[in-house]
Amino acid sequence: MVMVAEHAAETDARNRFAEEAIGYLDTLYRGALRLTRDPAQAEDLVQDTYVRALRYQSSYQVGTNMKAWLFAIMRNLFWDRFKGGRPEDVSLDGDGEFALYDTLKDPTAMPEADVLDRIAADEVVRAVEKLPELHREVVLLVDVEGFSYKDAAEVLGVPIGTVMSRLHRARRQLQRSLHEYAEESGIVHAREEGA
Amino acid sequence: MNCRDCLENLDRYVDRELTDDELSEVKRHLADCPPCDDLYLLQVNLKRLVKVCCDQGEAPQHLRSKLRQILF
Repeated sequence: MVMVAEHAAETDARNRFAEEAIGYLDTLYRGALRLTRDPAQAEDLVQDTYVRALRYQSSYQVGTNMKAWLFAIMRNLFWDRFKGGRPEDVSLDGDGEFALYDTLKDPTAMPEADVLDRIAADEVVRAVEKLPELHREVVLLVDVEGFSYKDAAEVLGVPIGTVMSRLHRARRQLQRSLHEYAEESGIVHAREEGA
Repeated sequence: MNCRDCLENLDRYVDRELTDDELSEVKRHLADCPPCDDLYLLQVNLKRLVKVCCDQGEAPQHLRSKLRQILF
């Protein structure tokens, strides 16, 4: 009888875990789609993420951030499977932590806020997908999923300063891509040479 | 707070990562500095746009069914 009760409790716990985990399916799938840029690969990545989550269920502490835990699994799988290993090269972070003032003091290089409203959603997704993976994943975690810097840093296994510098560079590049698109599509007029 | 300090805090301001004191300093600067405020509006709109555009779509039904079989 005791064993039956224990078994029932285990099944209950597993079902609760599974129910909570599957609640993040849509959000994980969207993240996988942005990372892989391919629906078939996104499905594989999500499925493998859940299989691994189930296998390592015991390492998940009930009451902690399951979404962050699942994203960490998925992100590591992505690098292992699709990119041949987790990134250690931080060369993208390049020139020191913060050169904000230098990079922002040329506001003419950016689209104005109201121009953004006229850019098609597809184009925004394309601009995000064009970012280098190390930058793209930070944008996904912080801007799309609303993770704090601290949670994003834990998912990515990097210091908070690295999250901030990657995020900053990613946003600069997004602004540049969207500004180019706005010029090409005539939403804003390109500045004339020498003007 | 000068423009340089403000811009260095802008990402954290947009991402709500500042302390209350830092936040009110940035807020005060933005109220008095239209160029910095323009950059702030641009950043906050870009963040919102990325969220709205990338947060659409659902997982395919067959994937959901397959996962339910694996998980339960």
